[in-house]
Amino acid sequence: MLEFKHVRKSFGDNVVLRDVSLKVDKGDVVAILGPSGSGKTTLLRAAGYLTKADSGTLIMDGEEYNLNSISSKNLRKYRSRVGFVFQNFNLYGNKTALGNVTLGLTVARKMEKKKAEEIGKKLLEKVGLGDRIDFYPSKLSGGQQQRVAIARALATNPDVILFDEPTSALDPELTGEVLNVIKQLADDGITMIVVTHEMEFARKVATKVVFMENGEIVEENTAEEFFSNPKADRTREFIYKSLAWERKNEHDGSGI
Amino acid sequence: MNERIVTELIESFGKLFMAGLKVSLPLTIASFSTGLVIALFVALAQIAKIPVLKRLVRVYVWIIRCTPMIVQLFIVYFGLPSIGIRLNSFASAWLVMSLSVGAYCSETVRAAIQSVPVGQLEACYCDGLTFWQAMIHVIIPQALRTAFPPLSNSIIGLVKDTSLAYSVALVEILATAQRIAARTYDYFWLYMEAGLIYLIFCSVLTIIQGKAEKALERRR
Repeated sequence: MLEFKHVRKSFGDNVVLRDVSLKVDKGDVVAILGPSGSGKTTLLRAAGYLTKADSGTLIMDGEEYNLNSISSKNLRKYRSRVGFVFQNFNLYGNKTALGNVTLGLTVARKMEKKKAEEIGKKLLEKVGLGDRIDFYPSKLSGGQQQRVAIARALATNPDVILFDEPTSALDPELTGEVLNVIKQLADDGITMIVVTHEMEFARKVATKVVFMENGEIVEENTAEEFFSNPKADRTREFIYKSLAWERKNEHDGSGI
Repeated sequence: MNERIVTELIESFGKLFMAGLKVSLPLTIASFSTGLVIALFVALAQIAKIPVLKRLVRVYVWIIRCTPMIVQLFIVYFGLPSIGIRLNSFASAWLVMSLSVGAYCSETVRAAIQSVPVGQLEACYCDGLTFWQAMIHVIIPQALRTAFPPLSNSIIGLVKDTSLAYSVALVEILATAQRIAARTYDYFWLYMEAGLIYLIFCSVLTIIQGKAEKALERRR
Protein backbone atom coordinates (compact mmCIF):
# COMPACT_ATOMS: atom_id res chain seq x y z
CA MET A 1 0.00 0.00 0.00
CA LEU A 2 2.99 2.27 0.59
CA GLU A 3 6.17 2.26 -1.41
CA PHE A 4 9.27 4.45 -1.33
CA LYS A 5 11.17 4.59 -4.58
CA HIS A 6 14.72 5.87 -4.97
CA VAL A 7 14.69 8.40 -2.17
CA ARG A 8 17.82 10.56 -2.03
CA LYS A 9 18.78 13.36 0.30
CA SER A 10 21.94 15.27 1.11
CA PHE A 11 22.59 18.08 3.52
CA GLY A 12 25.41 19.92 1.74
CA ASP A 13 28.19 17.39 1.13
CA ASN A 14 26.73 15.00 3.63
CA VAL A 15 24.74 12.31 1.84
CA VAL A 16 22.07 11.12 4.24
CA LEU A 17 19.94 8.93 1.99
CA ARG A 18 21.34 7.21 -1.07
CA ASP A 19 18.70 5.65 -3.20
CA VAL A 20 16.43 4.11 -0.60
CA SER A 21 13.49 2.00 -1.74
CA LEU A 22 11.10 0.26 0.59
CA LYS A 23 7.73 -1.43 0.31
CA VAL A 24 5.20 -1.57 3.12
CA ASP A 25 2.10 -3.73 2.94
CA LYS A 26 -1.21 -3.05 4.59
CA GLY A 27 -1.13 -4.09 8.24
CA ASP A 28 2.65 -4.18 8.32
CA VAL A 29 4.51 -2.89 11.32
CA VAL A 30 7.90 -1.93 9.97
CA ALA A 31 10.66 -1.26 12.48
CA ILE A 32 13.56 0.74 11.12
CA LEU A 33 16.71 0.06 13.10
CA GLY A 34 20.22 1.38 12.68
CA PRO A 35 22.95 3.41 14.32
CA SER A 36 22.59 7.16 14.80
CA GLY A 37 23.17 9.10 11.61
CA SER A 38 22.11 6.21 9.42
CA GLY A 39 19.35 8.27 7.82
CA LYS A 40 16.37 6.51 9.33
CA THR A 41 14.80 9.64 10.84
CA THR A 42 15.43 11.57 7.62
CA LEU A 43 13.64 8.87 5.65
CA LEU A 44 10.66 9.10 7.96
CA ARG A 45 10.62 12.90 7.88
CA ALA A 46 10.77 12.82 4.10
CA ALA A 47 7.76 10.51 4.15
CA GLY A 48 5.94 13.04 6.33
CA TYR A 49 6.96 15.89 4.00
CA LEU A 50 8.72 17.53 6.93
CA THR A 51 12.08 17.32 5.17
CA LYS A 52 12.16 17.78 1.44
CA ALA A 53 13.98 14.93 -0.29
CA ASP A 54 16.29 15.73 -3.20
CA SER A 55 14.47 13.16 -5.29
CA GLY A 56 12.28 10.14 -4.89
CA THR A 57 8.68 9.12 -5.07
CA LEU A 58 6.20 7.68 -2.69
CA ILE A 59 3.38 5.53 -3.93
CA MET A 60 0.33 5.19 -1.78
CA ASP A 61 -2.56 3.08 -2.91
CA GLY A 62 -1.52 3.56 -6.51
CA GLU A 63 -1.15 7.31 -6.24
CA GLU A 64 2.28 8.77 -6.83
CA TYR A 65 3.67 11.60 -4.73
CA ASN A 66 6.94 13.34 -5.58
CA LEU A 67 8.96 13.69 -2.38
CA ASN A 68 10.80 16.70 -3.76
CA SER A 69 7.84 18.85 -4.71
CA ILE A 70 4.13 18.62 -4.19
CA SER A 71 1.18 20.91 -4.76
CA SER A 72 -0.45 22.17 -1.59
CA LYS A 73 -3.69 20.47 -2.60
CA ASN A 74 -2.02 17.09 -2.95
CA LEU A 75 -0.07 17.68 0.24
CA ARG A 76 -3.27 18.24 2.19
CA LYS A 77 -4.75 15.09 0.74
CA TYR A 78 -1.60 13.11 1.51
CA ARG A 79 -1.34 14.42 5.05
CA SER A 80 -4.91 13.48 5.81
CA ARG A 81 -3.90 9.86 5.22
CA VAL A 82 -0.68 9.84 7.22
CA GLY A 83 -0.20 10.32 10.96
CA PHE A 84 3.09 11.34 12.50
CA VAL A 85 4.36 10.81 16.05
CA PHE A 86 7.46 12.74 17.08
CA GLN A 87 10.34 11.86 19.33
CA ASN A 88 9.64 14.79 21.62
CA PHE A 89 5.84 14.65 21.38
CA ASN A 90 5.35 18.23 20.10
CA LEU A 91 2.01 18.60 21.81
CA TYR A 92 0.34 22.00 21.48
CA GLY A 93 1.21 23.79 24.71
CA ASN A 94 -1.91 25.95 24.68
CA LYS A 95 -4.34 23.06 24.29
CA THR A 96 -5.54 20.42 26.70
CA ALA A 97 -5.06 16.74 25.90
CA LEU A 98 -8.49 16.76 24.27
CA GLY A 99 -7.75 19.99 22.44
CA ASN A 100 -4.59 18.46 21.05
CA VAL A 101 -6.48 15.50 19.67
CA THR A 102 -9.36 17.49 18.18
CA LEU A 103 -7.54 20.47 16.62
CA GLY A 104 -6.88 18.74 13.31
CA LEU A 105 -10.51 17.67 13.13
CA THR A 106 -12.09 21.01 13.95
CA VAL A 107 -9.69 23.28 12.09
CA ALA A 108 -8.35 21.31 9.16
CA ARG A 109 -11.44 19.18 8.60
CA LYS A 110 -14.04 21.67 9.78
CA MET A 111 -15.71 19.03 11.89
CA GLU A 112 -18.28 20.08 14.43
CA LYS A 113 -16.71 20.59 17.83
CA LYS A 114 -19.05 18.20 19.60
CA LYS A 115 -18.44 15.39 17.18
CA ALA A 116 -14.68 15.96 17.26
CA GLU A 117 -14.69 15.85 21.05
CA GLU A 118 -16.56 12.59 21.00
CA ILE A 119 -13.88 11.09 18.77
CA GLY A 120 -11.15 12.69 20.89
CA LYS A 121 -12.50 11.28 24.13
CA LYS A 122 -12.78 7.83 22.66
CA LEU A 123 -9.18 7.93 21.44
CA LEU A 124 -7.86 9.23 24.74
CA GLU A 125 -9.64 6.41 26.49
CA LYS A 126 -8.10 4.01 24.04
CA VAL A 127 -4.60 5.15 25.01
CA GLY A 128 -5.55 4.97 28.69
CA LEU A 129 -5.95 8.68 29.37
CA GLY A 130 -9.70 8.96 29.76
CA ASP A 131 -9.17 10.68 33.09
CA ARG A 132 -6.69 13.24 31.75
CA ILE A 133 -8.62 14.86 28.91
CA ASP A 134 -8.60 18.33 30.50
CA PHE A 135 -4.90 18.31 31.41
CA TYR A 136 -2.46 20.62 29.68
CA PRO A 137 0.71 18.97 28.31
CA SER A 138 2.88 20.54 31.03
CA LYS A 139 0.84 18.65 33.62
CA LEU A 140 1.37 15.26 31.96
CA SER A 141 4.34 12.92 32.21
CA GLY A 142 6.41 12.19 29.13
CA GLY A 143 4.73 8.85 28.62
CA GLN A 144 1.29 10.41 28.93
CA GLN A 145 2.24 13.17 26.51
CA GLN A 146 3.40 10.65 23.95
CA ARG A 147 0.16 8.72 24.33
CA VAL A 148 -1.79 11.94 23.71
CA ALA A 149 0.37 12.45 20.63
CA ILE A 150 -0.53 8.97 19.43
CA ALA A 151 -4.22 9.68 19.98
CA ARG A 152 -3.75 12.89 18.01
CA ALA A 153 -2.15 11.01 15.14
CA LEU A 154 -5.07 8.56 15.18
CA ALA A 155 -7.74 11.25 15.20
CA THR A 156 -7.79 11.81 11.47
CA ASN A 157 -8.03 8.07 10.94
CA PRO A 158 -4.89 7.78 8.79
CA ASP A 159 -3.95 4.81 6.63
CA VAL A 160 -0.45 4.72 8.02
CA ILE A 161 1.25 6.15 11.10
CA LEU A 162 4.89 7.14 11.15
CA PHE A 163 6.70 6.99 14.50
CA ASP A 164 10.01 8.81 14.90
CA GLU A 165 11.78 7.23 17.88
CA PRO A 166 8.65 7.46 20.01
CA THR A 167 10.31 6.36 23.24
CA SER A 168 13.78 7.90 22.94
CA ALA A 169 12.90 10.96 25.01
CA LEU A 170 11.26 8.95 27.78
CA ASP A 171 12.37 7.65 31.15
CA PRO A 172 12.99 3.90 30.89
CA GLU A 173 10.09 3.43 33.29
CA LEU A 174 7.70 5.16 30.91
CA THR A 175 8.66 3.51 27.64
CA GLY A 176 6.54 0.48 28.45
CA GLU A 177 3.23 2.32 28.54
CA VAL A 178 3.92 3.89 25.14
CA LEU A 179 5.12 0.69 23.54
CA ASN A 180 2.04 -1.09 24.86
CA VAL A 181 -0.18 1.43 23.11
CA ILE A 182 1.74 0.99 19.87
CA LYS A 183 1.48 -2.77 20.22
CA GLN A 184 -2.24 -2.44 20.72
CA LEU A 185 -2.46 -0.49 17.46
CA ALA A 186 -0.43 -3.19 15.76
CA ASP A 187 -2.91 -5.76 17.03
CA ASP A 188 -5.69 -3.62 15.56
CA GLY A 189 -3.99 -4.01 12.19
CA ILE A 190 -2.92 -0.39 11.73
CA THR A 191 -0.06 0.04 9.30
CA MET A 192 2.94 1.62 10.98
CA ILE A 193 6.54 2.53 10.30
CA VAL A 194 8.51 2.88 13.52
CA VAL A 195 12.02 4.25 13.73
CA THR A 196 13.31 2.89 17.00
CA HIS A 197 16.21 1.78 19.14
CA GLU A 198 14.06 -0.64 21.12
CA MET A 199 15.28 -4.04 19.97
CA GLU A 200 12.79 -5.92 22.11
CA PHE A 201 9.94 -3.94 20.67
CA ALA A 202 11.14 -4.57 17.12
CA ARG A 203 11.43 -8.26 17.84
CA LYS A 204 8.04 -8.65 19.44
CA VAL A 205 5.81 -6.20 17.61
CA ALA A 206 7.27 -5.60 14.17
CA THR A 207 6.29 -7.77 11.24
CA LYS A 208 9.20 -6.48 9.24
CA VAL A 209 12.57 -5.08 10.24
CA VAL A 210 14.69 -2.76 8.15
CA PHE A 211 18.30 -2.14 9.09
CA MET A 212 19.85 1.07 7.79
CA GLU A 213 23.39 2.37 7.78
CA ASN A 214 25.08 5.25 5.92
CA GLY A 215 21.87 6.17 4.17
CA GLU A 216 21.25 2.74 2.76
CA ILE A 217 19.10 -0.22 3.62
CA VAL A 218 21.52 -2.97 4.63
CA GLU A 219 18.94 -5.61 5.37
CA GLU A 220 15.21 -5.96 5.06
CA ASN A 221 13.70 -9.01 6.62
CA THR A 222 10.82 -10.43 8.61
CA ALA A 223 11.25 -9.71 12.31
CA GLU A 224 11.74 -13.34 13.15
CA GLU A 225 14.37 -13.95 10.48
CA PHE A 226 16.08 -10.66 11.25
CA PHE A 227 16.81 -11.54 14.85
CA SER A 228 17.28 -15.28 14.61
CA ASN A 229 18.99 -15.53 11.27
CA PRO A 230 20.31 -12.17 10.02
CA LYS A 231 21.69 -12.18 6.51
CA ALA A 232 24.21 -9.35 6.44
CA ASP A 233 27.41 -9.38 8.52
CA ARG A 234 26.81 -5.79 9.58
CA THR A 235 23.37 -6.69 10.89
CA ARG A 236 24.76 -9.57 12.87
CA GLU A 237 27.33 -7.27 14.41
CA PHE A 238 24.69 -4.67 15.25
CA ILE A 239 22.40 -7.18 16.93
CA TYR A 240 25.31 -8.74 18.78
CA LYS A 241 26.56 -5.40 20.09
CA SER A 242 23.10 -4.16 20.96
CA LEU A 243 22.48 -7.19 23.09
CA ALA A 244 26.03 -7.48 24.42
CA TRP A 245 25.35 -5.29 27.41
CA GLU A 246 22.54 -7.51 28.58
CA ARG A 247 24.61 -10.63 28.07
CA LYS A 248 27.57 -9.19 29.93
CA ASN A 249 25.40 -8.42 32.92
CA GLU A 250 24.12 -11.94 32.98
CA HIS A 251 27.66 -13.30 32.99
CA ASP A 252 29.40 -11.15 35.56
CA GLY A 253 26.41 -11.14 37.84
CA SER A 254 27.09 -7.58 38.96
CA GLY A 255 23.54 -6.70 38.07
CA ILE A 256 24.29 -3.07 37.22
CA MET B 1 1.01 74.64 51.21
CA ASN B 2 -1.93 76.78 52.17
CA GLU B 3 -5.62 76.14 52.08
CA ARG B 4 -6.06 77.74 48.66
CA ILE B 5 -3.64 75.33 47.05
CA VAL B 6 -5.26 72.35 48.74
CA THR B 7 -8.67 73.33 47.41
CA GLU B 8 -7.19 73.98 43.98
CA LEU B 9 -5.44 70.63 43.90
CA ILE B 10 -8.55 68.76 44.92
CA GLU B 11 -10.45 70.51 42.19
CA SER B 12 -7.78 69.96 39.56
CA PHE B 13 -7.36 66.31 40.52
CA GLY B 14 -10.73 65.52 38.99
CA LYS B 15 -9.86 67.42 35.84
CA LEU B 16 -6.50 65.74 35.43
CA PHE B 17 -7.98 62.35 36.16
CA MET B 18 -10.72 62.86 33.60
CA ALA B 19 -8.17 64.02 31.03
CA GLY B 20 -6.36 60.78 31.66
CA LEU B 21 -9.54 58.74 31.42
CA LYS B 22 -10.89 60.51 28.34
CA VAL B 23 -7.72 61.24 26.38
CA SER B 24 -4.54 59.53 27.58
CA LEU B 25 -6.11 56.15 28.25
CA PRO B 26 -8.06 55.92 24.96
CA LEU B 27 -4.93 57.05 23.11
CA THR B 28 -2.93 54.35 24.87
CA ILE B 29 -5.45 51.63 24.14
CA ALA B 30 -6.00 52.66 20.52
CA SER B 31 -2.28 53.00 19.79
CA PHE B 32 -1.35 49.82 21.57
CA SER B 33 -3.95 47.63 19.88
CA THR B 34 -3.18 49.05 16.43
CA GLY B 35 0.53 48.78 17.18
CA LEU B 36 0.21 45.19 18.27
CA VAL B 37 -1.48 44.25 15.00
CA ILE B 38 1.36 45.98 13.11
CA ALA B 39 3.92 44.20 15.31
CA LEU B 40 2.35 40.81 14.60
CA PHE B 41 2.32 41.52 10.89
CA VAL B 42 5.94 42.69 10.92
CA ALA B 43 7.04 39.67 12.95
CA LEU B 44 5.25 37.24 10.63
CA ALA B 45 6.61 38.98 7.56
CA GLN B 46 10.09 38.30 8.88
CA ILE B 47 9.35 34.70 9.82
CA ALA B 48 7.39 33.75 6.70
CA LYS B 49 10.44 34.55 4.56
CA ILE B 50 8.81 36.68 1.89
CA PRO B 51 11.94 38.55 0.66
CA VAL B 52 10.42 41.85 -0.51
CA LEU B 53 8.13 42.17 2.47
CA LYS B 54 10.93 41.29 4.84
CA ARG B 55 13.13 44.09 3.53
CA LEU B 56 10.27 46.55 3.60
CA VAL B 57 9.40 45.91 7.23
CA ARG B 58 13.06 46.14 8.19
CA VAL B 59 13.25 49.64 6.74
CA TYR B 60 10.12 50.55 8.69
CA VAL B 61 11.50 49.27 11.97
CA TRP B 62 14.81 50.95 11.32
CA ILE B 63 13.29 54.40 10.64
CA ILE B 64 10.84 54.35 13.51
CA ARG B 65 13.34 53.10 16.07
CA CYS B 66 16.05 55.52 15.04
CA THR B 67 14.12 58.79 15.06
CA PRO B 68 12.66 60.51 18.15
CA MET B 69 8.94 60.22 18.65
CA ILE B 70 8.56 63.95 19.16
CA VAL B 71 10.13 64.59 15.74
CA GLN B 72 7.70 62.08 14.20
CA LEU B 73 4.81 63.84 15.92
CA PHE B 74 5.94 67.21 14.57
CA ILE B 75 6.29 65.79 11.06
CA VAL B 76 2.79 64.34 11.13
CA TYR B 77 0.98 67.18 12.86
CA PHE B 78 2.85 70.26 11.61
CA GLY B 79 4.50 68.89 8.48
CA LEU B 80 1.90 66.81 6.69
CA PRO B 81 -0.59 69.70 6.28
CA SER B 82 1.90 71.33 3.87
CA ILE B 83 1.36 68.39 1.50
CA GLY B 84 -2.36 68.49 2.08
CA ILE B 85 -2.80 65.85 4.75
CA ARG B 86 -4.46 67.24 7.82
CA LEU B 87 -4.82 65.11 10.92
CA ASN B 88 -6.13 66.39 14.23
CA SER B 89 -4.09 66.10 17.42
CA PHE B 90 -5.53 62.78 18.51
CA ALA B 91 -5.22 61.15 15.09
CA SER B 92 -1.63 62.35 14.71
CA ALA B 93 -0.67 60.98 18.10
CA TRP B 94 -2.52 57.73 17.40
CA LEU B 95 -0.74 57.26 14.07
CA VAL B 96 2.74 58.00 15.43
CA MET B 97 2.32 55.95 18.58
CA SER B 98 0.87 52.95 16.75
CA LEU B 99 3.83 52.95 14.39
CA SER B 100 6.17 53.22 17.32
CA VAL B 101 4.56 50.34 19.22
CA GLY B 102 4.52 48.32 16.02
CA ALA B 103 8.24 48.77 15.48
CA TYR B 104 9.37 48.18 19.04
CA CYS B 105 7.05 45.29 19.81
CA SER B 106 7.68 43.49 16.52
CA GLU B 107 11.00 42.26 17.88
CA THR B 108 9.36 41.11 21.10
CA VAL B 109 6.67 39.28 19.16
CA ARG B 110 9.15 37.76 16.71
CA ALA B 111 11.32 36.40 19.51
CA ALA B 112 8.23 35.05 21.27
CA ILE B 113 6.96 33.31 18.14
CA GLN B 114 10.38 31.76 17.61
CA SER B 115 10.43 30.60 21.22
CA VAL B 116 7.57 28.20 20.49
CA PRO B 117 9.27 24.91 19.53
CA VAL B 118 9.28 24.49 15.75
CA GLY B 119 8.10 20.91 16.30
CA GLN B 120 4.65 22.23 17.17
CA LEU B 121 4.44 23.85 13.75
CA GLU B 122 5.43 20.53 12.18
CA ALA B 123 2.80 18.78 14.26
CA CYS B 124 0.23 21.26 12.95
CA TYR B 125 1.27 20.48 9.38
CA CYS B 126 0.90 16.77 10.07
CA ASP B 127 -2.53 17.53 11.50
CA GLY B 128 -3.47 19.07 8.16
CA LEU B 129 -3.29 22.71 9.23
CA THR B 130 -1.92 25.45 6.97
CA PHE B 131 0.84 27.85 8.10
CA TRP B 132 -1.69 30.54 8.99
CA GLN B 133 -4.04 28.17 10.80
CA ALA B 134 -1.09 26.91 12.81
CA MET B 135 -0.11 30.46 13.68
CA ILE B 136 -3.59 31.45 14.76
CA HIS B 137 -4.52 28.35 16.73
CA VAL B 138 -1.24 27.17 18.20
CA ILE B 139 1.80 29.38 17.77
CA ILE B 140 0.59 32.95 18.36
CA PRO B 141 -1.45 32.17 21.50
CA GLN B 142 1.65 30.68 23.09
CA ALA B 143 3.88 33.43 21.77
CA LEU B 144 1.67 36.14 23.25
CA ARG B 145 1.88 34.43 26.60
CA THR B 146 5.67 34.58 26.44
CA ALA B 147 5.53 38.13 25.14
CA PHE B 148 3.13 39.26 27.85
CA PRO B 149 5.65 40.64 30.38
CA PRO B 150 7.66 42.65 27.82
CA LEU B 151 4.44 43.83 26.16
CA SER B 152 3.17 45.00 29.54
CA ASN B 153 6.37 46.98 29.81
CA SER B 154 5.62 48.59 26.47
CA ILE B 155 2.06 49.53 27.36
CA ILE B 156 3.18 51.12 30.61
CA GLY B 157 5.86 52.99 28.69
CA LEU B 158 3.23 54.08 26.22
CA VAL B 159 0.98 55.56 28.93
CA LYS B 160 3.82 57.89 29.82
CA ASP B 161 4.74 58.57 26.21
CA THR B 162 1.24 59.91 25.56
CA SER B 163 2.41 62.99 27.44
CA LEU B 164 4.46 63.79 24.32
CA ALA B 165 1.20 64.42 22.51
CA TYR B 166 1.09 67.59 24.59
CA SER B 167 3.45 69.02 21.97
CA VAL B 168 0.85 68.62 19.22
CA ALA B 169 -1.87 70.41 21.15
CA LEU B 170 -3.61 67.35 22.53
CA VAL B 171 -5.23 68.24 25.83
CA GLU B 172 -4.21 65.26 27.87
CA ILE B 173 -3.05 65.03 31.48
CA LEU B 174 0.06 67.19 31.19
CA ALA B 175 -1.59 69.84 29.04
CA THR B 176 -4.48 70.08 31.47
CA ALA B 177 -2.08 70.59 34.37
CA GLN B 178 -0.16 73.15 32.35
CA ARG B 179 -3.32 75.11 31.60
CA ILE B 180 -4.42 75.27 35.20
CA ALA B 181 -0.93 76.20 36.38
CA ALA B 182 -0.68 78.96 33.80
CA ARG B 183 -3.63 80.57 35.52
CA THR B 184 -2.64 80.01 39.13
CA TYR B 185 1.18 79.86 38.91
CA ASP B 186 1.27 76.75 41.12
CA TYR B 187 3.52 74.92 38.69
CA PHE B 188 5.26 72.81 41.29
CA TRP B 189 2.08 71.37 42.78
CA LEU B 190 0.26 70.86 39.52
CA TYR B 191 3.13 69.08 37.83
CA MET B 192 3.49 66.97 40.95
CA GLU B 193 -0.18 66.16 40.65
CA ALA B 194 0.18 65.29 36.95
CA GLY B 195 2.97 62.91 37.92
CA LEU B 196 0.71 61.38 40.54
CA ILE B 197 -2.00 60.75 37.95
CA TYR B 198 0.47 58.91 35.70
CA LEU B 199 1.62 56.99 38.74
CA ILE B 200 -1.95 55.92 39.48
CA PHE B 201 -2.68 54.82 35.91
CA CYS B 202 0.56 52.88 35.62
CA SER B 203 0.11 51.29 39.03
CA VAL B 204 -3.30 49.99 38.02
CA LEU B 205 -1.76 48.54 34.86
CA THR B 206 0.98 46.92 36.92
CA ILE B 207 -1.60 45.26 39.15
CA ILE B 208 -3.59 44.08 36.14
CA GLN B 209 -0.39 42.65 34.64
CA GLY B 210 0.30 40.63 37.78
CA LYS B 211 -3.23 39.24 37.89
CA ALA B 212 -3.31 38.45 34.17
CA GLU B 213 0.02 36.64 34.36
CA LYS B 214 -1.31 34.44 37.12
CA ALA B 215 -4.45 33.70 35.14
CA LEU B 216 -2.38 32.78 32.07
CA GLU B 217 -0.17 30.54 34.18
CA ARG B 218 -3.17 28.51 35.28
CA ARG B 219 -4.01 27.73 31.68
CA ARG B 220 -0.99 25.66 30.81
